[in-house]
Amino acid sequence: MSFKYIGKPIPPHDAFQKVTGTATYTIDLELPGMLYAKLVTSTVPHARIKKIDVSRALEVPGVVKVVTGRDYPYRVGMYAGDRDLLAVDKVTWVGHPVAAVIAETLEAAEKAMDLVDVEYEELPAVFDPLEALKPDAPLIHEKMEEYRHSPAFKPVPGTNIANKFTLIKGDIKKGFEESDEIIEEEFHISHVSHCYMEVQNVIAHYHLDGTVEIWTSWQNVAPVRQIMALSLGITHNKIIVRIPFVGGGFGGKAGLGWEALVAILSKAAGHRPVKLVLSRKEQFSSAAVREGFHAFAKAGFKKDGRFNAYNVKFILDAGAYADYTVNVGRAVGYSADGCYEIPNIYVESLTVYTNKIPTTALRGFGYPESHWVLEQIMDRAAKKLGIDPAEIRLMNLLKPGHSYMGTGERLREDAGDPKKVLTTLVDEIGWGKPSEKPSHPWKIRAKGLALFVKGPAQPPNAASSAILKFNEDASIDLLIATGNFGQGTITALMQIVAEEFGLPLEKIRVDYVRDTHKSAYTWQTVGSRGLFTDGIAVLGAIRDAKKQIFRVASEVLRCPEDQLELVDGEVRVKGKPWEKIPLQDIVMGYTYPNGNSVGGPIIGRGVFMSTHTTYLDPDTGQGNPTIFHTFGGTAVEIEVNLLTGEINILKAVEVLDLGKVINPLLVKQQIHSGLIMGTSISLYEQIKFDERGWVINPNFTSYYLARIKDIPREVVGRFIETPQLDGPYGARGIGEHTMIGVAPAIANAIFNSIGVKMNKLPMNPENVWRTIKEQRPDLVEEAMKKFSEHRETVEMII
Amino acid sequence: MSFGAPYFTLPEFTYHKPKTLKEALELLDTYRDEAKVMAGGVGLVAFMKERLMSPSHVIDIKEIPELKRVEYREGAGLKIGAAVTLSELENNEIIKKKYTALYQAIKKAADPIIRNRATLVGNICEALPWVDGPIPLIAYNAKVEVMSLNDVRLIPVSDFIKGPVEIDLAPNEIATFIHVPDPPPESKSTFLKFNTGSEFALATMAAHVVGSVKPKEVYLVYGAVSTKPVRASEAERIILTSENIKEAIVEAATKASQEIDVVSDVLASEDYRRHLIKVLTINALKSIFEVS
Amino acid sequence: MGRLITLTVNGIRRSVEVKDNELLLDVLRDKLKVKSVKAACWRGECGLCTVILNGKLVKSCLVLAVEVDGSEILTVEGLAKDGELAPIQKAFIQHGALQCGFCTPAFVLASHKLLEENPTPSEDEIKERLSGLICRCGTYYEIIEAIKDASKYYQLGRKPR
Repeated sequence: MSFKYIGKPIPPHDAFQKVTGTATYTIDLELPGMLYAKLVTSTVPHARIKKIDVSRALEVPGVVKVVTGRDYPYRVGMYAGDRDLLAVDKVTWVGHPVAAVIAETLEAAEKAMDLVDVEYEELPAVFDPLEALKPDAPLIHEKMEEYRHSPAFKPVPGTNIANKFTLIKGDIKKGFEESDEIIEEEFHISHVSHCYMEVQNVIAHYHLDGTVEIWTSWQNVAPVRQIMALSLGITHNKIIVRIPFVGGGFGGKAGLGWEALVAILSKAAGHRPVKLVLSRKEQFSSAAVREGFHAFAKAGFKKDGRFNAYNVKFILDAGAYADYTVNVGRAVGYSADGCYEIPNIYVESLTVYTNKIPTTALRGFGYPESHWVLEQIMDRAAKKLGIDPAEIRLMNLLKPGHSYMGTGERLREDAGDPKKVLTTLVDEIGWGKPSEKPSHPWKIRAKGLALFVKGPAQPPNAASSAILKFNEDASIDLLIATGNFGQGTITALMQIVAEEFGLPLEKIRVDYVRDTHKSAYTWQTVGSRGLFTDGIAVLGAIRDAKKQIFRVASEVLRCPEDQLELVDGEVRVKGKPWEKIPLQDIVMGYTYPNGNSVGGPIIGRGVFMSTHTTYLDPDTGQGNPTIFHTFGGTAVEIEVNLLTGEINILKAVEVLDLGKVINPLLVKQQIHSGLIMGTSISLYEQIKFDERGWVINPNFTSYYLARIKDIPREVVGRFIETPQLDGPYGARGIGEHTMIGVAPAIANAIFNSIGVKMNKLPMNPENVWRTIKEQRPDLVEEAMKKFSEHRETVEMII
Repeated sequence: MSFGAPYFTLPEFTYHKPKTLKEALELLDTYRDEAKVMAGGVGLVAFMKERLMSPSHVIDIKEIPELKRVEYREGAGLKIGAAVTLSELENNEIIKKKYTALYQAIKKAADPIIRNRATLVGNICEALPWVDGPIPLIAYNAKVEVMSLNDVRLIPVSDFIKGPVEIDLAPNEIATFIHVPDPPPESKSTFLKFNTGSEFALATMAAHVVGSVKPKEVYLVYGAVSTKPVRASEAERIILTSENIKEAIVEAATKASQEIDVVSDVLASEDYRRHLIKVLTINALKSIFEVS
Repeated sequence: MGRLITLTVNGIRRSVEVKDNELLLDVLRDKLKVKSVKAACWRGECGLCTVILNGKLVKSCLVLAVEVDGSEILTVEGLAKDGELAPIQKAFIQHGALQCGFCTPAFVLASHKLLEENPTPSEDEIKERLSGLICRCGTYYEIIEAIKDASKYYQLGRKPR
């Protein structure tokens, strides 16, 4: 079947606004009479607030109000419900907002924020999640029972456990008894920051009549309104949330941000609009980041390579608030088994509070974490058993239509082709073929690979909808709330509409503002669900509109509806193309020559609701959580400098089974994008804390992230198209996936070549050097020897 | 102790743009402690944003003609004015040809956009442990010319920088020029920088040797590893007194990695830095002595 | 209380009253409403505040407005000519060299300047010249392609502006 738009590399639909600088982001907006807010944040990690004296701050000319937590002790959140707007009784991390200053100018607010005097009574603090789990550890959330948490999660009051998730399949004890080889290791990942370029910023206007208008740099409007309604007791109808262009989200702008706080500030400031813009420093020290991660894994294999038992304890260092992280903890848990069919599984995933910065989801949503462990375990087993790493994976791969995943979910026949993913990966990277000689004798070259599978982590009732309406010129307005923060989903959805109606793409419009009152509802744009769920809703709206169009056309053309087709913006009778009506003449109603009119404005409506997903059993984690699975793999060829610990990715291969590629240009973007972010997090990124939990590198000079010179030299992206039968055109989501395999692929390359286990992220030069020195000091010594004896002069040899 | 500051605005100050050096010095003489001199502003604006400096007066010297000049005279050497940007120096043919280490350091400093504003004198006055500018300058025995209304001082760069953000500059003085002597005829120099996975260098090194067969002078200068630039004097002596340079290189590098004061900080640990020092030293000495 | 300064922004002379401690970034965005100039770090690390000042790329978050009285400033709003996008802008669109778009104005300006000074840059030169800018969405491969594609318009003295 030949398509005009589907499968074509169409540039992003809003590229024009972005290259001309006319794209408006929340940070660019100002409202008349707007005030500016600045946060006063805690300088101690755990303390009771004894007194807050705002008198000096109030004396600064231009200051309108100073608000403290006790003035508005609301608690907000969607999953754990653990967050205060501002600290009420105590502060729980260095950087915890305790007061907000509202002033006529930013300058006045900044002067005043230094004049708020807070008296603390320090409490013992805990920074290590393993310490926080001990019975005598200081409690960070003593009032946990009072929190309104989602029933999908299990907090443990009286402890620092925000969520406990357990996954039980088979008999783990028997599983280990039956195993021939046991592998037991610990893994660790440092906290990282999303570093989206547009900082979190909100404009809120709490009107006197109780209506609240919000502009925010956030991924979706629905969750903002939902959480505000639940937490502040305002009815949905009175909350209007709008989102213009967004400068990046990466999962860090999902759930609830600062909107509820700024709304309250607007109310406190005499019902005037208030804007809060986070500084980059506050992004690193007061806003949520990705959790620290520990894992204790024990795996049992049979000597023929079959993975027989997997017991892993995941500990998420969630910081002081864990609203979204409890869901990440759950996803880490049920993604533990990845692409493999393992008969005996026991997973415990604990999301743990500590006195450090709060955390939330980041692209990948727990899957990069669980796969950091699993994919390295596979290579450990491969080496111990003398089996090739690709072979051992093939042996244990899930088989669509046959296998059961760790959650007990039966993998559908149309879930994709993981075997083809693996063979394509192996082929593209030249697996088994030795690398070329490294550029210098103190370097090594190696290849490594990792597989992954991911679906969206959403509640079983996460719905989407789409409304499609026509204009007089038969152009279409697609009223959807799909988030637009760089992924290009909107462009793909527009392509679908254009294709289905036979209209030029220019005739399809999606407004750049998402609005709770004007955009059809979608739960959230996270978890790579956008194209799938919102695409299904859009297709429903298209079908609905077509039905209405054909009903009118059938009456006018006097022929059955099933004899009609849409071609090039006209309704035509099949086989008799001269019998036609241009869409313009129908979409606003059809008028006969004598003036009688039929039909009316065409409005198409479509929804997505998953009918087969379930909650997970609270004790065993069994259930059917996923609407689709995207299988994929990452392979790398790296060069490691044994002298300095530098890792250079020479070639990266990303293979994904996407079902159907709606737009290869956008898919290529996501492959590159995920690879670069995955590389950056694997090799460089790390939030550093001092002994008081203070973030000591809250800027881009001491927190390094990949720049243009750090990209892998060569990247190959391959897509497989095994159709997902219920996906739009057979498509599945992509957005997070290419992040997941990068870190373990690199670690596996190192392990396979020199036997050094890289169990900690990031693999920056110092960490790599130190790890190799600890495990293979001979290699480091030999590298130095070769370097010293090297007979070549270049300006900079290393 | 404050790690970063959440301000968007700068503290208030009065801005002055003197047209002559005399005018600038008079302003400084009047305002002294309350004033700061501004050239490229890259350091000063960032410091003011973080409230590390809050001068009431900012004196912009970019309009003073003699400070915008780079002059070279055979025998006398290089004279670089305080308002000359790193980009301008990067395009200077004399520096490229005769002052290899300085050229390499400038080319690798910050990024090309920052280099359009940052100045070499500013780099030295910033005196952050990880700025690159001072390192090759010390290897070339460069001096800073410091002026006040009534006095002119010439201070070696190595003495000018006393510690992190601490320089030998009185409140009524401006650092006006850098004087870099003409390198002797058999000079060879190089600058190396290790900053993988980091914006600032984890370790830098400038090596300057006079006489690449039988060395008469050796300068091994290190940056970013300590609180200020340091020299490995014992390593230098090993090179100077050795019978066989090629064999002495590793010995000197090992000595350098052990003798100098090295710190652990947010960017790197001490032991890794010591290791990098050894690697950089071997690399630098090999390229200078053309070991092949 | 403030000083009156005059700037020529994208070919138009504008006068604005500024305080001594106001940054060029804020004057451009808040007073002159040139919103294409963004900020993400306010410290000169991310490069999103980059503008072309008197023909040179600078990070406007580190420049005082009072310093640049009488200067010429070019931002991305001034690249299109006679209703047509500049070749570099077209190349960015064609190659999908943007995702969220927040860094795009800065990268477009820097790419434009790079090609003006060196119409046939190598990949290494491109990476070096753009090292002061961050794109978190990771469109670096596409940006390199766009620059290589637009290169032909900068050769043979065919300067777009």
